[in-house]
Amino acid sequence: MENWLTEFPEAFSVDIRTPIDNAIEYMVVHWSGFFDKISDGLRLVLLRVRMAVDLVPWWLLILFVFGLTLLLTRKPARALLYAGMLFFIGMIGLWHMMYATLTIIITSVIIALLLGFPLGVLVSFSNRASKLVRPLLDTMQTMPSFVYLIPAVMLLGLGNVPAVVATVIYAMPPIVRMTSHGIRHVDKEVVEAAQSFGSTRLQLPVKVLIPQAMPTIMTDVNQTIMMAISMVVTCSMIGATGLGAEVLLGINRLESGRGFAAGIALVIVAIVIDRLTQGAVREEGHSHAEA
Amino acid sequence: MKTLTKRLTTLALALMMLMMLAGAQANEAIFGDAGWDSMKFHNAVAMLVAQEAYGLSTSEISGSTAITYNALKTGDIHVYTETWTDNIAPYPEDVSAGKVIELGVNYADNIQGLYVPRYVIEGDESRGIAPMAPDLKSVSDLKDYALIFQDPEDPRKGRIYGAISGWMIDDVMRKKVAYYGLDAMYNYMDPGSDPALAAAIVGAYEKGEPIVAYYWEPAWITGKYDLVLLEDAPYEPEAFLRGETECPSIPLTVAVNPGFYEANPEFCEFLSNYYSSSALTSQALAYISDNDASYEEAARWFLTAHDEMIDDWLAEDKAALVRAALQ
Repeated sequence: MENWLTEFPEAFSVDIRTPIDNAIEYMVVHWSGFFDKISDGLRLVLLRVRMAVDLVPWWLLILFVFGLTLLLTRKPARALLYAGMLFFIGMIGLWHMMYATLTIIITSVIIALLLGFPLGVLVSFSNRASKLVRPLLDTMQTMPSFVYLIPAVMLLGLGNVPAVVATVIYAMPPIVRMTSHGIRHVDKEVVEAAQSFGSTRLQLPVKVLIPQAMPTIMTDVNQTIMMAISMVVTCSMIGATGLGAEVLLGINRLESGRGFAAGIALVIVAIVIDRLTQGAVREEGHSHAEA
Repeated sequence: MKTLTKRLTTLALALMMLMMLAGAQANEAIFGDAGWDSMKFHNAVAMLVAQEAYGLSTSEISGSTAITYNALKTGDIHVYTETWTDNIAPYPEDVSAGKVIELGVNYADNIQGLYVPRYVIEGDESRGIAPMAPDLKSVSDLKDYALIFQDPEDPRKGRIYGAISGWMIDDVMRKKVAYYGLDAMYNYMDPGSDPALAAAIVGAYEKGEPIVAYYWEPAWITGKYDLVLLEDAPYEPEAFLRGETECPSIPLTVAVNPGFYEANPEFCEFLSNYYSSSALTSQALAYISDNDASYEEAARWFLTAHDEMIDDWLAEDKAALVRAALQ
């Protein structure tokens, strides 16, 4: 007789492992055509983004960051600092790896925005959709990524494609949440004013709500990018190339120097993108205030 | 009311202290789990013996090879039951410097190399798969079949799923690809991690797609799926490092932390007697896969099925203790 007070009673045990295994095996075998299509599509997007990224020579990117920082902050010292930091990535020989990493980040963020933004708008208008989507978003953000990385590899193969899928899963929730949050919190007076001036059902969201919510939404584009960057090393464990793979190699070979060099490069990429997108949000805020 | 709460809390705390005191044992053996199944199985067997015959409490710490091996040196991990000596570059030096103590060889008849599923060569009528590379026998034959193993990210070339970066064999495999001139028509892909490599093989196998990948035996993958090892030139020590020959069997040793060795001479004597073989390990892994068994259950089954091993490993009195525990 087992002790029900200290041990969870066996009578209530449920096996969810076998059904999940079977479902994944079924998908691998029977839905391979569908997943191959997704895989091909993503690969094409990745390839295009890579081509676009490769079109930018190193000096142009550094100049661009310098110019944009100057434009956004009007602080030459800061512009010089960010440009110098990027230059440093080239100096430690990681420029090409940075491009590979940027390709994955850009592709993932674009897809996350394309999926997340409409979903966020939808969720902001329907309470029922909101109730349905919220637990899903929570799951996407908290489920340990390796859990779905391995089935993703079985379905999509190894490399940058499953990396993009995993990154999108992890980085999409904030854009959905904040788009919906931003739209829901637009001033009631503004909405009433728009309605009393006779805006139609379509005009209200397109011309009033979404533009008004833009600053909130932009903050979350920034968050989505940061979350995509945080997935870089995890994704290298399923064969994604770039800085993450270099970090992993450093860890696997106990070469701390190699790991740190790539890690520092990632930090620089994150800081520069973060400051630039935040600057863009502030700039947006200013122009709104001025208007 | 307040005093009652206080008393109850005190009582509960006292009880917890008592339980902790009772639970705390002077001697603990911490086993390293570098992430693959055969090592977990050998850990389970050794842990069972440690508990039953030597009264040690046991635990297992998981991590990558590099991290767990480093922990073995620092003493956070005490026992490594399956050290892939050739894959850990600093190992020979560490042994001669006394940073880790090598107690003996667990088994030394393992295989590693490039594998393809059997259906790639012979086809599989029951699954409706026609042979894709009928004359593929050896690594050098891969030259003729690059587009069979097409790299989806670079369709003009084939893809070879390589070893995990950081393992010594990864260097050898890269050199092998270059030595046979395969690098002109194949991309050598770094799978990133052991589970990802396994998932890639399983995914391709379930779909009946062609794949050529580095793997090793014994492992549940090579046990469960019908994979064929591609032939290579006979092993020669120097040439092997240049990637020109097949892989030798690596002695998989049992190694312990020096501090643990001094504190537990009796248990270490058992570990130095410990041995198994590739076939025995595969049997146990197949048992796990077929019965959905835990490693501990597999260890119990193994010690029951191979009762004679207990006498080889242990003195009479200890052997009796283990047998009693198996009843």
